[in-house]
Amino acid sequence: MSQAPAETPAGTQADSKKPLLSARDLVQEFVVREVGGARGGIVQAVSNVSFDIMPGETLGIVGETGSGKSTLARAVLQAPRPKSGTVTFRDMELTKLHGKALLSARRDMQFVWQDPFGSLDPKWTIRSIIREPLDAHAVGNWASRRKRVEELLDLVGLDPARYAKRHPRELSGGQAQRVAIARAVALEPSLLICDEAVSSLDVLIQAQVLNLFEQLRHELGLSYLFIAHDLALVKQVSDRVAVMYLGKFCEVGPGESVYKRPLHPYTRALLDSIPSTEPGAARATATLRGEPPSPINPPSGCRFRTRCPRAADKCAAEVPEPRELAPGHLVACHFPLIEDAPADSAAAVPAQVVIPTAPNTAKAQG
Amino acid sequence: MSPTIQAEGALLEVEDLRVAFAVGGREIRAVDGISYAVEPGRTLAIIGESGSGKTVGCRAIMGLLPTGTQISGSARLRGTELIGLSDAQLRKHRGSDMAMVFQDPARSLNPTMKVGKQITEAIQAHRKVSKSEARERATELLRLVRIPAPERRFHEYPHQLSGGMRQRVVIAIALACEPRLLIADEATTALDVTTQAQIMELLLELQQDMDMALIFISHDLGLAASYADEVVVMYAGKIVEQAPAKQLFGAGGTVKMRYTRALLDAIPHVERPAHTELPVVTGRPPDPSALPVGCSFAPRCPSAADDCTAKAPALIEHAPGHRWACWHPCENGGAA
Amino acid sequence: MAAQLPDMTATVLPPQPSLPSLVSGRRLRWQKISRALRLWVPAFILLAMLFICFVWPYVYTIPPGDTGSILDSSLPPFSPGHWLGTDANGVDIFSMLIYGGQVSFEISLAVTAIGILIGGILGLTAGYFGSWTDSVLSRVFDVLIAFPALVLVLAVAEVLGPSEMHLIWALCAFSIPAEARVFRGATMVVRQSPYIAAARLSGTGNWKIIFKHVLPNVIPGIVTFSLLGIGIIVILEGAVDFLGLGIQIPQPSWGAMIAKGQNVLTATPQYVLIPSIVLLIFVMALNLLGDALRERWGVR
Repeated sequence: MSQAPAETPAGTQADSKKPLLSARDLVQEFVVREVGGARGGIVQAVSNVSFDIMPGETLGIVGETGSGKSTLARAVLQAPRPKSGTVTFRDMELTKLHGKALLSARRDMQFVWQDPFGSLDPKWTIRSIIREPLDAHAVGNWASRRKRVEELLDLVGLDPARYAKRHPRELSGGQAQRVAIARAVALEPSLLICDEAVSSLDVLIQAQVLNLFEQLRHELGLSYLFIAHDLALVKQVSDRVAVMYLGKFCEVGPGESVYKRPLHPYTRALLDSIPSTEPGAARATATLRGEPPSPINPPSGCRFRTRCPRAADKCAAEVPEPRELAPGHLVACHFPLIEDAPADSAAAVPAQVVIPTAPNTAKAQG
Repeated sequence: MSPTIQAEGALLEVEDLRVAFAVGGREIRAVDGISYAVEPGRTLAIIGESGSGKTVGCRAIMGLLPTGTQISGSARLRGTELIGLSDAQLRKHRGSDMAMVFQDPARSLNPTMKVGKQITEAIQAHRKVSKSEARERATELLRLVRIPAPERRFHEYPHQLSGGMRQRVVIAIALACEPRLLIADEATTALDVTTQAQIMELLLELQQDMDMALIFISHDLGLAASYADEVVVMYAGKIVEQAPAKQLFGAGGTVKMRYTRALLDAIPHVERPAHTELPVVTGRPPDPSALPVGCSFAPRCPSAADDCTAKAPALIEHAPGHRWACWHPCENGGAA
Repeated sequence: MAAQLPDMTATVLPPQPSLPSLVSGRRLRWQKISRALRLWVPAFILLAMLFICFVWPYVYTIPPGDTGSILDSSLPPFSPGHWLGTDANGVDIFSMLIYGGQVSFEISLAVTAIGILIGGILGLTAGYFGSWTDSVLSRVFDVLIAFPALVLVLAVAEVLGPSEMHLIWALCAFSIPAEARVFRGATMVVRQSPYIAAARLSGTGNWKIIFKHVLPNVIPGIVTFSLLGIGIIVILEGAVDFLGLGIQIPQPSWGAMIAKGQNVLTATPQYVLIPSIVLLIFVMALNLLGDALRERWGVR
């Protein structure tokens, strides 16, 4: 959904009105090969997704398995290229660039993977790993690069004297991820894409790495595209949050707004399912029935309708377009969870919803 | 030393369980003396990070550790001692008295065997029933775990089912012979949060209906707060805190262990504003082949004192129902 | 700047656990010893064989391996001066083993080395670049491998004529595509790793990635196959000699000795048995060494 640049959402440190990254109508599809190589179906992993990231902002994308969030991240990176759509990064149209031009355009955009050990070559030393981007772009000379590696290790909290000459297997998960982050910021990028970057770390280590992300945000002025399936985690790090379901954005808005006053039934269901340790918190309940549909044949109209307690005939017929129902807060739903029903919704929308047994045939109960 | 547990009517009593492996010439102490008890119809959550020994402890009870593992201590299921039994003897108990559900349903199920057959196989391992009776029971089990259209699903292969449904099938297999104890080892970790909520609710309902004892192992304190009656927190192979869930997490919750407090503080909460700095505990868990003399958490604990590194504190019931092992526990729940 | 994180190992006290050890010290010691033995025993055997074949003849004079006096013909083992006996022409069998070993080693090591070198580059290229490059190269490998190895080798040897160099090239027709296939498979696995994607995102060029990232990670995967290949080459070479297309008699090789001895198997079994046993030890040592290396390098 488009974020009009004039409306700078609450909580960002945007110092200019121009987005750092602008994605429009991204589409990514995969052909599924049956056994024997025959074409099975087409997985519509990402369907017409648009968003902006302002400088200094963290956009969080949260979604469950099959939502397409990781695919979206890779499409932004052009690895592999999206089937259609545009990605404008710092005024450069990435989808039109190739080879060396793409490489230098992408220099300012880096990636942190989920598996800390998978993203570090086990045969290389930590020093070589962090140096690699510096060597590839011929930054400075040998001596200055060596110094820079040590600076970077210091930055992420690892003592260069002890860690520079080690190999990844001698490190713990948290330390390895710090090395990956050090490498990612070596070229001083403006955007860091983190794909489940802390999901495989233990809770206490995860907190350390999250704090590191915050610290880098301050010190280096980084913008982040932060992808995770853990809702609380995404809210913790993000200024704005996008909720993704089956290849489309359900809802995008400032973190507080999305989590405190969710407008989309899916977001509401996700929030209800989180088990909380806060004293007095309600017990987590499963408000969603059924299984996620297959991305090969997504439901017509609104893709969430097969599990939505509020689904009606209109949901099957029309794809809901994103509408701004609160400041900076957009939702793609025909019957959003809002007190005053917008003009095009025929039924009144209650706060509590009765869950029918056959969601895709029952009308929403007023 | 951990005190002996004498719980009346306890289904499972674990006493001073210790597990060690020999790897590459070093001794790895995975579990270093744990004791707890579970009663029928109650839910126990064993919480810990990776390497805390939570999984190894339960696998030792089930007898699922590789040969050559050194196990000592006791684990009594309804009075029957399980530690030290041969595999053949344990097989009689597995499935009929106690069952386990693992993390990755894709790997717990045989991809080349139809789902229904895997359930009937479990049934026929312990009960002398005819093939058709087993089929009926299997279909009933699929219905019990709320799989829609169970007669059809009976004939499907695991890859035709979604992750949540596969885990339900695994639960159905585990429940095939109505075990008294069900151990769920990170059973929902690989599932989406919405599916997780569904599976946890299912487990609790089944537990109530069948008066089973449920132990679930997780790293997620939120799960323990939401679904458990009693919580055991493990660190470096030992139990560091044990209390009813309400005492730890409820309003006025009193967390005593620094480690538990650190865990609670480090979890991102939806209620907290964005970009808050998380209270952080530095360092990482000790190497299980080189455990320190004193408290294992002392090197990382912000309140560690000399007595902490000198001698390991014992797990003692300082308050009714609430045991902890710390020389300097938190005051007032130690909220950050 | 960020505060230095306290180093974990500095604050852990000397390992004096409060509870006594469960695992016996004897068991731990044996684990360490057996691990070392699994690597060094086969390595030692191979080195010993190399030593005997290449160094021993210069240290201690041995009878020639290709000529013999007719007076000494067909001596049994443990005869004075010929501890393994002699063959029908009076040639000392032990010497034949030694000189034959030289030939077998030279040929098999050379063929495997060339296979790794050329096949390796082709396999890395096919596996890394995929799509057209891979399709074309793979079809070439498939065709070469589909040919029965012996037929292929014989054809090449026939065309080039019998001699040791030509024999090496002929055997390469087998080893190059075989190694290429293994390299390609291992490369395709490594290619999926995030660290390759990270290297590309860092801006590193493709060939640098192939030689600095892919190759070091692919080598553990090909070691077992290549070591085994050495043994296969020795046998293959013997078969070629037997058919008269390899090295010429009277120059021996282990394979040739086995091949020649088949005719008189019932009468004088030792002509086949002795080189067969030596070959068995050789291949087994290669195999065990490959296993031990794989264990060290953590290849699954």
